[in-house]
Amino acid sequence: MKVLISTPRRAPALAPGLAVLGVVLAVVAFLSVTQGSRDIGLGEVLGALGSWTDDGTTNTTVTLELRVPRTLLGILVGAALGVAGAILQGVTRNPLADAGIMGINSGAAVFVVFAITVLGLRGVGVYVWFAFAGAIAALILVYAVASLGREGATPVKLALAGAAVTAGLGSLTTGIVMTNVDALNELRFWQVGSLAGRYAPILTGVAPFLIAGLIASLAFGRVLNGLALGEDIARGLGQRVGLTRVAAFGVVAVLAGAATAACGPIVFIGLVVPHMARFLCGPDYRWILPYSMLLAPIVLLLADVIGRVVVPPDELQVGVVLGLLGAPVFIGIVRYGRMSEA
Amino acid sequence: MSFALVACGSGESPSGSSGASGAPAGPWTFTDGSGEVVKTDKVPTRIIAHAGEAAALISFGIKPVGVYADEPVKTDPNLKNLDLTGIEILGEEWGKIDVEKAASLRPDLIVADWWPAEKAHSGLEEGVDEKSKKLAELAPVVGATQGKSILELANGYEALAKSLGAKVDDPAIAANKKRFEESVTAFKAAVATKPGLTVLAMSPADDKVYVANPEYAPELLDLQSFGLKVINPDAPDKGFPYWENLSWENADKYQPDLILWDGRSFTPTANADWGKKQPTWFKIKAAQAGAAIAWPAYWMHTYGDFATELDKLSTAVKAADENIGA
Repeated sequence: MKVLISTPRRAPALAPGLAVLGVVLAVVAFLSVTQGSRDIGLGEVLGALGSWTDDGTTNTTVTLELRVPRTLLGILVGAALGVAGAILQGVTRNPLADAGIMGINSGAAVFVVFAITVLGLRGVGVYVWFAFAGAIAALILVYAVASLGREGATPVKLALAGAAVTAGLGSLTTGIVMTNVDALNELRFWQVGSLAGRYAPILTGVAPFLIAGLIASLAFGRVLNGLALGEDIARGLGQRVGLTRVAAFGVVAVLAGAATAACGPIVFIGLVVPHMARFLCGPDYRWILPYSMLLAPIVLLLADVIGRVVVPPDELQVGVVLGLLGAPVFIGIVRYGRMSEA
Repeated sequence: MSFALVACGSGESPSGSSGASGAPAGPWTFTDGSGEVVKTDKVPTRIIAHAGEAAALISFGIKPVGVYADEPVKTDPNLKNLDLTGIEILGEEWGKIDVEKAASLRPDLIVADWWPAEKAHSGLEEGVDEKSKKLAELAPVVGATQGKSILELANGYEALAKSLGAKVDDPAIAANKKRFEESVTAFKAAVATKPGLTVLAMSPADDKVYVANPEYAPELLDLQSFGLKVINPDAPDKGFPYWENLSWENADKYQPDLILWDGRSFTPTANADWGKKQPTWFKIKAAQAGAAIAWPAYWMHTYGDFATELDKLSTAVKAADENIGA
């Protein structure tokens, strides 16, 4: 890592850096499948992976039906949150932007509560779709509110609209769950932010959205670089700023919406990973986006593995681990790094 | 009110405390489950009680002015069959008590179980709404302890009711005690027919599986004392010792012959539902075999309720296969 930091902005060093991150991600993914709160021998894990059939033993079931989907979900969700954060920070020119302050979490929560109270539905598999719809609805609402007025959806108006929508939807959720114990209990589980208890159906449900969103996101590097210079300059360079913003928000809605739907609101990743990426590769979004895409799942999976091995036979939710480990890391970046403006 | 404070302006003997028969005068004392001795000048008459504690008092003819429960009173196992007309409902959700409404009732006593593991009374534990805790400022809080036996609770509330002036010689009360003795005898006989049977008290949740620690579940300690082999988990959570928390990877850590399923979430289809939802639930052989029954978790306060629940458990024990978990 030191080598990367010392040669931050030279493109020739950045491509191999990306390859190194790819290898690190593979190692962390391997850890995520082989380590956990249950003690399973390495040979047994590899045997299960090799045969890819559930022979009925608990160790095989845990490997194939719990750890593999969890790891794949962690990679996709982590990548999605990292990239969504990077795009939001770029498009709103706000270094503190992430999916949370754009109303995504509160929108998802309202829809989950609606599913529980009004429709009487239960189960993570059902909440996914309501959370997804809620996240997208909230983001559309934020964008629509920010677009009112002559100058359109400026970064400041987006931030204000996001805060207002978050507050409004948050109080709506609180109002409903105050009068409904069931909804409160169900929401509590969903709101922690966890990779536990999510299995293959959820993975296969959200994977298409996440993969499509991740591929689409890579096209935004150049336009985000333009926006970083300011809207007027971006226009002067021939960019259609309004269209860029709408498209970027669309991609973010799909990425963060699907990720939040699958795992609940996971903090820290979307906010901090883009800064880590900038720290490594400089201000060029053509590099920030792929760096975020690999760095974020490394951070998420590593935090999840830590949460799974520290308190066996119990586990800590990844949201808790990220909160505990994330804050000092973030302070370190701000204090010692060059936290460049988004 | 089914009893009235006798207006005797003066002259009551200062030593005349709890336990006197008839309509008692003041002062009044009661030893709380925490060991603290609570004293008041007059015998309390306006009582606010937590759900099960209220049900116990009502069974002795003492009607609280207000109750607070951890779930809607229509489904609360202690309250659902009681006539609550004239009693203010101050809460129907764990951790949330309408203290303003409670204050308007001008209570002179709050009755709530003492939980030794948390060192707090019901409704005032860590994690509840901060506003709820203000309930304790309205009046003294007393209760029996959620200690080593349901009988501690049943006898504790009988003593409390008596000190408040209730007549505890109602034939129905004696009848319930007799019924309880019979249920215990029948339960012991049922357990004796299955010497190898082991049971585990569990509460599965979306992110993990909770295994109950009998040490902090009086009814499970009672079942153990009646001969049932309730498995003691070997690593209960240190901060919240009611449970050992198992990740879903470790759901099969214990292999009982019969699952006692937390009654607050048990339904006839729960076992099949969780088997479908969680890949490792059916790795517990008893779950795979459908050997699961409701466990009356943390709610019983009277001989009568315990007798009724014991009879159900006796039936389940007799029908159980003691070799499933082997």
